[in-house]
Amino acid sequence: MRELWTMTQYDLRQRIRDKSLIIFSIIVPLALMFVLDLVLGDLTNPQLQPTTVAASVPAGDQLGAALVDVVRSLDGVEGMDITVRDAAADEVHDLTRDGRVQIGLIVPEGFSTALQQGKATDVTVVSGEGTGIEQSIVTSVVESTVNRFSAGALAAEAGAQSGLAPAELAAIGQEVATAESTITLAQGTASNEQLSPTGALVAGQAGLFLLFTVGFGVTALVAEREQGTLARLKSMPMPSWTIVTAKALVSFILGVVATAILLTLGGRLFNVNFGSPVAVGVLIVAAVVAATSLMFVIVRVARTAEQANIAQSIIALVLGIAGGAFFTITASGWVGTVMDLNPVSAFIRGLGITSGGGGLGDIGTPLLILLGFTVVVLVIARLIPDRGAAQ
Amino acid sequence: MRAVLTITGAELRRFLRDRSNIFFVFIFPLLLVVVIGAQFGSSATTGRVSIAGEDGPLRQAIVTELEASKSTVAFGDWDDIVEEVSRGRTTVGLRFPDGSNAAFAAGQPVELEMLPSSQSASIAVQQIVRAAVDKVELDRAQVAALVTRGVTTPAAESAIAAARTQVTAPTVHVEDVDELAKEFSGLGQFDLGASSMVLLFTFLSSLAGSATLIQARRQGVIARALAAPVSNTQVLLGQAGGRFTIALFQAVYIAVATALLFGVDWGNLWLTALVLVAFSAVSAGAAMVLGSLIDNEGAASGVGVGLGLVMAGLGGGMVPLELFSDTMRTVSKLTPHAWAYEAFAEIQRHDGTLVDILPQLGVLTAMAAVALAVGAWLLRRSLARAM
Repeated sequence: MRELWTMTQYDLRQRIRDKSLIIFSIIVPLALMFVLDLVLGDLTNPQLQPTTVAASVPAGDQLGAALVDVVRSLDGVEGMDITVRDAAADEVHDLTRDGRVQIGLIVPEGFSTALQQGKATDVTVVSGEGTGIEQSIVTSVVESTVNRFSAGALAAEAGAQSGLAPAELAAIGQEVATAESTITLAQGTASNEQLSPTGALVAGQAGLFLLFTVGFGVTALVAEREQGTLARLKSMPMPSWTIVTAKALVSFILGVVATAILLTLGGRLFNVNFGSPVAVGVLIVAAVVAATSLMFVIVRVARTAEQANIAQSIIALVLGIAGGAFFTITASGWVGTVMDLNPVSAFIRGLGITSGGGGLGDIGTPLLILLGFTVVVLVIARLIPDRGAAQ
Repeated sequence: MRAVLTITGAELRRFLRDRSNIFFVFIFPLLLVVVIGAQFGSSATTGRVSIAGEDGPLRQAIVTELEASKSTVAFGDWDDIVEEVSRGRTTVGLRFPDGSNAAFAAGQPVELEMLPSSQSASIAVQQIVRAAVDKVELDRAQVAALVTRGVTTPAAESAIAAARTQVTAPTVHVEDVDELAKEFSGLGQFDLGASSMVLLFTFLSSLAGSATLIQARRQGVIARALAAPVSNTQVLLGQAGGRFTIALFQAVYIAVATALLFGVDWGNLWLTALVLVAFSAVSAGAAMVLGSLIDNEGAASGVGVGLGLVMAGLGGGMVPLELFSDTMRTVSKLTPHAWAYEAFAEIQRHDGTLVDILPQLGVLTAMAAVALAVGAWLLRRSLARAM
């Protein structure tokens, strides 16, 4: 046990003296968090903005006025802040283009008559500056309302074709246009397991660079093998497992310390609360163990320290990007399931749960994924031939 | 000149023989172009609605309406959908309880469960779901209005189908006057990702490759070259030429590969080539500065990767410059990436001519001249340093 601790301490000292450790583990991820937060801002999760709609309706057009009333009634729904102002048809485009209003609505001349007679008519929605959410909602509401207005005329025409009396046709039109809704949409609430955009950035960069940090410990085995010091260590009167365990311990300690620093500093700097420290701590330990297990595969595949570095960078970047270190990759079905098995995405997912108020009992799934990943990777590392030792 | 070319050629050969470059230079940039194109490209939809519960006419009708809007519709178990919504992978979940289809057919009240995610964008998707439900209800109300007046259901349905051919449905059309939307409207799915990746990887590979310059210094390759009957200037020019050729190789590879594989439209090839040459020269100069200032290969590749990613982030290599705030847009001008990005935007989107991109080319050339001169001076000085 004493030998194990001596070797771990020695390696830790060596690694800490290596400038690239602090660059890769702390400085680069923090710099990236800072820059990505600056440039991405709220782009990944836009918030609703106060919106003004410039509406142009021909004088005396009842259905046109009703259409604008429906748009006006959106104000206050689901936190929307919508103001409708009247405008002449020829100034709607300018107002929207100049950014004085965000949406323009032009109801054409003869709108009501065209709808009642089943003739062609075209409403224009002018989409200006904004997040796109408000534009999408207003467009959908306008389409839906215009559909409702025209459905009566269509039913009346069908009634006429079915041989119904002309007196009944008007009633049909009215009945359809004012039909009561029989379908209600009961809105449920799902628990929020998502990090804020900035939180996802901090967690993602911490997860990605963890895969680089743990490499500094275990891949030192390959360097020792190259330099011939591994053979000398093996000749010492101690069990050979202590050598490997010492390297793994170095990776583990570096990983836990670096990730804890990144999450703490990142949390403070970017005002992100990851939730229960105990649950976050357990997640960090599980993620570091999973990441360290990967290094054992690299040690067996790589013949030289250079190869180990390359293999490690490839695995880190592929797992990091697929796991959502830069932006969330949405996938469903089997692709989504495979992506979920990624340690970086399990780590981010776990932090999402803890930041939403989840405790130890709620992070079972991400923890199981990290544990399962570790077991599978260690079995693979055991089974694949050791190319370095075969030299 | 021959000596310069020989050194340049040797540097390029070293670069191509490094097997790690197979992944980082040839495969990785294209993978990212695909991922970014798939996530943010023109095929992106307005949102994802996941459906669970009893199948039947009501569910099918609503799905048809949802698909007619630009939503992606998926199906699954309700428990899975609840989890997807919690994680933000589904924008809105919609469940059809048992008996809902039959109840709707019989004109009885039906309650569907709608589960929105916490993102603001879900409000738009909820409205799309409401509009789809409303449309299905209207269709049913039309049939019902005729049936209550003695028309049989099949006859009412066929009369409505016939009426649809005679009545011209009103239309709603959307005109986008937003400058931002117009700016990106002509771009192909992979166009933006490809130009960003050229900038990101050309600079990143150059900076990360500065470690080989340190290696050459450590192993005395440069000092020995200086001992040969060649001038200092020739050796320094050869080193600069090597860095430049490697950067240009990376840039041209991504440009050609994305054009051939993903049909990326780079616009005028000559102008694009000019921008690539100027940007590669800046990258080469930056690599020389880094490779001369730092004496440790590990630290140089760490700083190289870090600086490469940070500068790409600041200069539009990760997020389009048009989405930056005014302050960030000003800050971005400090990076060569932003100038090259603007030049590409001018060529790709506005059919820009040489005159249009002269300011950007001028700044890039000035940056390249300064970086290469400082790099050569630092390299010369570094040779006198013990390593």
